[in-house]
Amino acid sequence: MSHVPRTVGYSVLLLLWMMMPLLATAQSTDDPSPHSEATLVSEVETIAPGEPFTVAMRLQMDDGWHSYWKNAGDSGLATSIDWDLPEGFSAGDIQWPHPTVKEEGPLVTYGYSNETMLMVDITPPNDLEPGTEVTLEARGDWLICADICLPAHADLETTLLVEREARADTEWASAFADTRAQHPRPAEGVSVQAYRSDGSFVLELEGEALPDDGLRFIPGEKRTISNTAPQPVMRDGNTRYVALQASEYADGSTEALRGVLLGPDGFSWSDNEAPHPALAVDAPLEGEFTGDLSALAEASGSTSSTSLSLWGALGFAFIGGLLLNLMPCVFPVISLKILGFAKKSGEQPRIMRRHGGLFAAGVVVSFWVLAGLLLALRAAGEQIGWGFQLQSPGFIALMALLFVGIGLNLAGLFELGMGMTSVGSDVQQKASGYSESFLTGVLATIVATPCTAPLMGAALGVALTMSAVEAMSIFTALGVGMAAPYVVLSSVPALLNRLPKPGPWMETMKQLLAFPMFATALWLVWVFWQQVSIDGVALLLGAFLLLGLAGWVLGRWPAMQVEGRTWMASRAVVTTVVAGALALALLGAGTKAPASASGSPADAEWQSFSTEQVDTLRSDGTPVFIDFTAAWCLTCQVNKRTTLSTESVQQAFDDKGVTLIRADWTNRNDEITQALAEFNRSGVPLYVLYPGDGSDPVLLPEVLTPQIVLDALENLPDTRNDNPELADQRP
Amino acid sequence: MTRSLWITTLALLLIAGGTLAFQAEPADDPEVNAPAPDFTLTDTNGTEHSLSDFEGQYVVLEWLNFDCPFVGKFYGSGEMPRLQETYRDQGVVWLSIVSSAPGTQGHFPPDEMNARNEQEGGQQDAILMDPEGTVGQMYGAQTTPHMYVINPEGTLIYKGGIDSIPSTNVDDIDEATNYVVEALDAAMNGEEVATQTAPPYGCSVKYAG
Repeated sequence: MSHVPRTVGYSVLLLLWMMMPLLATAQSTDDPSPHSEATLVSEVETIAPGEPFTVAMRLQMDDGWHSYWKNAGDSGLATSIDWDLPEGFSAGDIQWPHPTVKEEGPLVTYGYSNETMLMVDITPPNDLEPGTEVTLEARGDWLICADICLPAHADLETTLLVEREARADTEWASAFADTRAQHPRPAEGVSVQAYRSDGSFVLELEGEALPDDGLRFIPGEKRTISNTAPQPVMRDGNTRYVALQASEYADGSTEALRGVLLGPDGFSWSDNEAPHPALAVDAPLEGEFTGDLSALAEASGSTSSTSLSLWGALGFAFIGGLLLNLMPCVFPVISLKILGFAKKSGEQPRIMRRHGGLFAAGVVVSFWVLAGLLLALRAAGEQIGWGFQLQSPGFIALMALLFVGIGLNLAGLFELGMGMTSVGSDVQQKASGYSESFLTGVLATIVATPCTAPLMGAALGVALTMSAVEAMSIFTALGVGMAAPYVVLSSVPALLNRLPKPGPWMETMKQLLAFPMFATALWLVWVFWQQVSIDGVALLLGAFLLLGLAGWVLGRWPAMQVEGRTWMASRAVVTTVVAGALALALLGAGTKAPASASGSPADAEWQSFSTEQVDTLRSDGTPVFIDFTAAWCLTCQVNKRTTLSTESVQQAFDDKGVTLIRADWTNRNDEITQALAEFNRSGVPLYVLYPGDGSDPVLLPEVLTPQIVLDALENLPDTRNDNPELADQRP
Repeated sequence: MTRSLWITTLALLLIAGGTLAFQAEPADDPEVNAPAPDFTLTDTNGTEHSLSDFEGQYVVLEWLNFDCPFVGKFYGSGEMPRLQETYRDQGVVWLSIVSSAPGTQGHFPPDEMNARNEQEGGQQDAILMDPEGTVGQMYGAQTTPHMYVINPEGTLIYKGGIDSIPSTNVDDIDEATNYVVEALDAAMNGEEVATQTAPPYGCSVKYAG
């Protein structure tokens, strides 16, 4: 007897054990629609035979969770409804309300939060019997995502009474009306055309009172445009152009741009009716865009406030050039020039004018060379901007060598030629004096490039979007501005006479000026250090040593006092040693920076720059401050020390909840170059403060004081956690 | 002599500035029919693997997050392990890469990852850990799964979604065209790969950020 129950007991245990996985599975899928609920609602209480009516899958989502539009974007999955209708009924497609843009890390998706109604038109058959009831059934499938995603589904059902006349259901009338307002549709008086442009696309909008900015095209199909690329808007009277970057998954089969165009928050595409936030776009691609996008970009200036006319830009370039003279990196070279003038003050005015003119020519020609190089490379598609030379370690190394060489010369280790340094000599060697004037101009320009003086950033930004001729005239104005004080000085004898009389003090002054030169060299070594390995720095220092040796040989056996074999031998040594120094410097420049060099060694509270990161923060409503900087940009370093790193400023950033981002342009970085271009800039420093409420960014001046930053922060609206739902989406 | 030194130095400066500034290459997402960028990652057993180690072999890169329902569709059904086994038998190297940042979905310490993989039946050569998302960003991996096929010459021959039906529904696997299968079979037979890219679908890769 006892056998039976035991067997039964075992069997039950075995059965239970076998079912365990099933039970476990059942547990986890307990709720078929986690974090969301779906129901089927109808706009009508009763339906009439043959008369189409509208129902909707109403999807309610928990805070921080979202579902997807018909094109989910970079990830996710569109919601679907699978109908099971009584015979003779047919269902239309889902009428999608416009989605909102969701940022998921570096990706962009399109979907809905809180609640949405996916409307579908149902057509009943003509032969329905009034007085009967019909039940509509469907299965809804959707993906519900926060930072993680869960599949969800629901069996939907609603029962409706058939009558002669359809009767609206007042309970849902306003919900349906509100949802219809969210449907993308064309707008009266707004026409949309689409063009190809260099493998990408341009949307052309025409109409009255179009927004200047904040347009966002959301593609209805996956393989058309990049979801993450910026969509710059350009203006031309009543026309707007939206540049759209092709998707990397585009297969070339795109025949039309279809989707939704959203305006800025609260914008309505029609003024006669209630809200019209989304414009339906269905524009066949009509060939290649024939306009000049970059000219349009220049004319509209993507940040609206910085656009400049050509004359304005020329004016600013001239003033910028003038101001360059005051920059710490130019000053030592300029001092030399002043010395030279003082020395020559006894000359005939004609000769002085020539010196001034040649110096100006040196400056302008160097600007042409640099600008020509810059334009040519940009035309070839390189992402570079002003100051680009300093992103090259080779250039830095040679500059440092040059400064050490000049420093040694000034300090008196050796003499270079006669005219340049034989102070007080009344025999001027005219020819060498002239070439020296020209070369000083060249030198002044080279060292000036890292110091993008105030206002020059805007002028150069415009220059780079203009035609080559216009751009070259901007650079010319810059050079003329820089050289102007010397041209004036050299051509007005009255001014020259006011310079101090030449004398032994000049030798003292000259030797003293060696120290700013050495200081500049030290700074260049520091910049170099950011770009290469410590071995590279050691090689560069070795090159300094060799240069010192060459200088000593030159000084020990001066050209005027040695002859024959001694001259040959000493000059051979100098040539060899200088060549060795150059080789060492370039070798050092070739060493690779340590892998961690991208993360600047800087302070922990600064995050490094990425466009996605900034966009994410902005859409979260977080105020963001971006410091566009570079190790070789002296103005940037000064601002960092005197302002950005100070306790009061840091405290103010903290109080306002501002996220600090540092865009380090020390080495080439296309993303940063592009970001600069969006502000019409091509150089650093640039300080951008996004208030966090979606309003336009504030650009701070290029020379900062703590007060400037504090005032800017003072004006920040208190928008923290303004949008908790969006903020919650990102952990 | 000394003057010519001046001029030489300055000329050098300008030339060097011009040429050296542009050696760095912009790092865009790799394109098909172009070399697949090399990388080195550590697997769940502590072994380092570089893409270049596998020169001469076909390599499949699969972006993986076991807790993503789209990935679940392919492991739960046994489809992914079956593909891995089939192609490894033909000499293909199959690397699953996890770019989930620590603390986000799909990131596990190596031991747990191995245990989970065993449970899921994974048959890949290695699961590579990319917690900083460096390789994910390098390849522009957007979703899990996101598939890349590299030929023995190191050229990327397919990138995109695993198949043609974006869904979490297991039943769709048989209906869909599997692009990785298509690409591998075609390339191994010396034929042209018909579909070289397809939109990736799935969960977003949980990058640090």
